[in-house]
Amino acid sequence: MDPFRRIQPEKKDNVHVVLFKDKKILDDTVLDEIKTEINRLLGSTPGQDVLLDFSHVEFMSSAMLGLLGQLHRKVGAAKGRLKMCSIRPEIFQVFKLTNLDKLFSIHADAPAALAKFKA
Amino acid sequence: MNADGAAGAAGGGVDVVIAEDSRIQAKMLQRRLIEAGHSVRWGETGADALALVRERRPDIIISDIEMPVMTGYEFCKAVKTDPALRTVPFILLSTLADPIDIIRGLDAGADNYVTKPYEPDFLLARMQSLLATPLADDAGGEAAMLEVTLAGQQFRVKAGRQQVLNLLVSTFENAVAKNQELVVANQDLSVARDNLQRSNSELVELNERISRINEHMVRDLNAAAKVQQSLLPSAEVAIPSMKVAWRYVPCQSLAGDFLNIFPLDDEHVGMFVVDVSGHGVPSSLMAVTVGRFLTPKVTDQSLLVRQGPDGRVLVAGPAEVATQLNKLFQADEFSGLYFTILYGVLHLPSGRLDYVSGGHPAMVRVPEGGGPEFHGADGFPIAFVPDVEYEQHSLQLAPGDRLYFYSDGVPEAMDKDRQPLGDQAMADVLAAGRPRPLEESVTGLLSRVEEWCRPIGPLDDVSILGIEWRP
Repeated sequence: MDPFRRIQPEKKDNVHVVLFKDKKILDDTVLDEIKTEINRLLGSTPGQDVLLDFSHVEFMSSAMLGLLGQLHRKVGAAKGRLKMCSIRPEIFQVFKLTNLDKLFSIHADAPAALAKFKA
Repeated sequence: MNADGAAGAAGGGVDVVIAEDSRIQAKMLQRRLIEAGHSVRWGETGADALALVRERRPDIIISDIEMPVMTGYEFCKAVKTDPALRTVPFILLSTLADPIDIIRGLDAGADNYVTKPYEPDFLLARMQSLLATPLADDAGGEAAMLEVTLAGQQFRVKAGRQQVLNLLVSTFENAVAKNQELVVANQDLSVARDNLQRSNSELVELNERISRINEHMVRDLNAAAKVQQSLLPSAEVAIPSMKVAWRYVPCQSLAGDFLNIFPLDDEHVGMFVVDVSGHGVPSSLMAVTVGRFLTPKVTDQSLLVRQGPDGRVLVAGPAEVATQLNKLFQADEFSGLYFTILYGVLHLPSGRLDYVSGGHPAMVRVPEGGGPEFHGADGFPIAFVPDVEYEQHSLQLAPGDRLYFYSDGVPEAMDKDRQPLGDQAMADVLAAGRPRPLEESVTGLLSRVEEWCRPIGPLDDVSILGIEWRP
């Protein structure tokens, strides 16, 4: 049985690739579940690299940015790296409006992002 | 052992034959009788039981009525017409569904009956009393033909006096036992009713408590909404050489947006739009907290103005305000709650606007007789990234220029297919409103947003603040 409802995690080249299953990340409950599931996935092991894959995400609330900010700090504090990929233009607009496209490491797709982890 | 069955009177163990087609009921009855010290023989049908009785004369017989092969009545009749067996007491287990059953039992010669379901102790007591008074062998004289009318039907029953008496007594005892059961059932019912009433009143009380809590919450929400209202501009913002118009439409009773405009001193006007992420109570609490720092009154908390050494009011630069806000809203662990702000300070005599953006959408400038322009600035949302220095920007206004601050609820307003209104459409509406009064250009933009979001309505707070500077 799949223990994850909101994310589909996969380990690739020692990177946790986390694919969001939802098309819309708007609801507070969806956000909470995503947060819980990612925390469960990462546990407290330090130095983990994480790639968030937005391929399926079509709509996203500003509160999701807050969650990404939390993850950014958590992964960074544990000496890991956080990257994001496959963000469609409508979603990217949310990052751009808030200048957070300059804070987060955003890449075109998973292979491009994974290559950056190696570099 | 017992030559004629009279030994039962001694109260010791007797030989019992039971006829019962239900294996489970037979076992239960058998166990109870053995516990009471009796020996038991069991026949699954009337015929089987009759064979057991003929094999050896028992002290007493207990028989069910409904059985295959030979019913309890037939079995009883067979026993009572046998001269060697007729003095063996015979108890019928009746369901007493019909009074005619009693007549049938009488006619068959049964000495007693017990209604099912029965208490084992009740049956044992019946046995004891039957065994205590041995039946006289009245085969000859005493048995007479009786005529009985019951439920409009005539019965001719052949029965002895003692048998009739025994049956009458058992009828009475059965009725008393049933009555007692009814009394107990009635008591149980009244206990259940009391419990129900208690549960019901508990429910009513709980309900009242919930509605009290609900009232409380509604009151609190209303109070919070009122506090939020206090974050908005006072009814009439009268600033010389400036026109002001604003619209603020929260999408829930508690919003994350707020805006304000006010004089900071004789020459400076402060203006901002703040947008806290999310909605509801946490966001509105943050909005209220932020609002306390963005006050034009000289207080310990105000980040906008402070008292200078000579008693004059010092106006803080927008970048300094943003940097301070970001410091104030850093927690050890980022809660995910943050806000964006566009804050500007306009120098009224010169028309110079200093401003800062904390992740907030760019302002739109619409000059008199010119196209709309976007003026934004880099800068992360407040509370998002620790230890950031915010950068200050400046914009020189020309007389007659209009400036619009807004929240992302305007350009990001979604139509029913979730298409955003967009920056261009927003700027076009503002440009089209240029020939009309400032107030109309602001209401025009709000109408455009509301139209765009039909039929659901905006899903985000909508804030628009417009100014026109004409020295």
